[in-house]
Amino acid sequence: MQTETDVLRIGGRCLASRFFLGTGLFPNPYVQMEAIKASGAEVLTFAIRRINLENTEDDSILQHLHNESYIYLPNTSGARTADEAVRIARLARASGLSDWIKVEISVNERTLLPDPIETLRATEVLVKEGFTVLPYTSDDPVICKRLEEAGAAAVMPGAAPIGTGLGILNPYHIGLIVEEANVPIIVDAGLGSASDVVQAMELGVSGVLMNTPVAKATDPVRMAKAMRLAIEAGRLSYLAGRITKKKYASASSGLDAFQLK
Amino acid sequence: MKEKILIMGGGIIGLSCAFELKKRGFQVTLLEKDQCGGQASGAAAGMLAPYSENLEGPDEFFQLCLESLQLYPEWQQQVKQISGETFEYTNSGSLYIAYHDADMLALEGRLLWQRQFGSSGTILAGDKLFRMEPMLSRNVQAALYTPEESHLYAPDYVHALEMACRVIGVEIHEHLERLTVKEWKHEILIQAANKRYFNGDRLVVCSGAWAQELANTFNIEIPVYPIRGQICAYRAEHKPVQHMVFSSQGYLVGKENSNLVCGASEDVAGFDTSVTDKGIERLRKWNKQVVPFLADHVPFHRWAGLRPSTQDGLPLIGSIHDSKRVIFAAGHYRNGILLSPVTAKYIADLIEGKKTADAYQAFSPERFGVRNC
Repeated sequence: MQTETDVLRIGGRCLASRFFLGTGLFPNPYVQMEAIKASGAEVLTFAIRRINLENTEDDSILQHLHNESYIYLPNTSGARTADEAVRIARLARASGLSDWIKVEISVNERTLLPDPIETLRATEVLVKEGFTVLPYTSDDPVICKRLEEAGAAAVMPGAAPIGTGLGILNPYHIGLIVEEANVPIIVDAGLGSASDVVQAMELGVSGVLMNTPVAKATDPVRMAKAMRLAIEAGRLSYLAGRITKKKYASASSGLDAFQLK
Repeated sequence: MKEKILIMGGGIIGLSCAFELKKRGFQVTLLEKDQCGGQASGAAAGMLAPYSENLEGPDEFFQLCLESLQLYPEWQQQVKQISGETFEYTNSGSLYIAYHDADMLALEGRLLWQRQFGSSGTILAGDKLFRMEPMLSRNVQAALYTPEESHLYAPDYVHALEMACRVIGVEIHEHLERLTVKEWKHEILIQAANKRYFNGDRLVVCSGAWAQELANTFNIEIPVYPIRGQICAYRAEHKPVQHMVFSSQGYLVGKENSNLVCGASEDVAGFDTSVTDKGIERLRKWNKQVVPFLADHVPFHRWAGLRPSTQDGLPLIGSIHDSKRVIFAAGHYRNGILLSPVTAKYIADLIEGKKTADAYQAFSPERFGVRNC
């Protein structure tokens, strides 16, 4: 089967799951652990600023994951400048958590939209220091290309502002970003439901990163499973190649005249 | 004659509902399988802190917490008056501390909406902050100060509330071991382990983490999970902190009896309420990062309770479709003490048939689905 060889490679690691899951906002540790299991995610993300860096095994969230083999993708959320992002990325690595880093730099406390210029600067510095850098940025094809050129291991354009659940506001841009990319593209932030996820995967992205739509669902465990299946369905649909849309019904005809132009 | 109400569960929520309903003239009988206030209620630090415990936005749950905080001044006064007992209730205000510049964006984001909902909060740093809390670690970069938040001494409050219930004539039966709902559609009939029966017109289910046992009885999904919360207390003659101090890892509250209560280590251990070294050591190691003075101190008291958390973290409050006789008030997780007055008021309003806020629909006990077989 096609999917068995369809793995995602980032920073020298092969990932069987294309689901990157945020660990915040869950109602309690039990639901959190069950949802993580149901998601099948191998990569987990969390804000460095909220972590007990001196004793990561004691951290209020990480303590529950201590005996599992997840890849940690700490993020720099809250950083407003490249310098700040670089500073906390170094703290995270020094604590032994991970050398993967999600650069997340926002200036506006209402929209939390990424600052692409500071994001590019931080990416350049952190790549030079040997981090595996996954920057979260706006859905702009040019800035995504620049981040790739700066050495990002994957680029993560937002679908919509964090936590809004608005879905993909600009599918044209996401499609274009995928077309031009030579590194994995992961849609990060703004997704709301399984249909948004399928849409993203059908646009050809390599994976999705979510937190709120799972953690704040009425049943987070069930939603984690729904999202996992949506990722798989969307990926298979993308790889399988969809039919062209036609204006009229046709039992078997491939007549050019029937194609919707 | 007003209706006869049976209350299942003598935790803080059951006692509060009993107190409010009795005050409104109902006949109230409270059934407790062990003893009143024995679980999460007794293991609480008593923080009344809707702003520090809701960081994301003014959703229905925050509104419920805030309404309850605002009911507290009068509510606690009544409990004291009627019981003839007293308990600490301190308007200390709170500090939510942050260690990184990167926390400022989140603190500012919080202030932005919380100031529209009754907070007069401000962000403090440097000398201003350390004048307010001199023992605080100098690694703390800033703190969000919320003057509106209070705390009380939970064990004394629970005890006073139980006394208040007895004084006004709530019938309390403890040590019933096992309670079985025998009939609930046409009347309420409950059987205790010793074969004794209790009957009434309405049933209020306040059995916290044990409410899940009733899923088959009422044919609804009741995903309530017991989350173990471990707490410890230091003896500290001169209160090392004057405000409640919150952080991403835990909290510290100085009580007037010289106890410095700190929590909480949460884990999933079924219905096991034992205290673990791992859980308490984790708190000790963190506490000295907040107040370095505590490095040389050992907690004199450590305890644990089961906090009933639902699948979406919101409590179950409201009646069920199949019978208006059955009303839930359970699954309050970490906020049972804070939510006690507002839950009691809402339940009593429901039973009296008063109009209740539409926003409370978010807490419907049937939101997780009905069982088909």
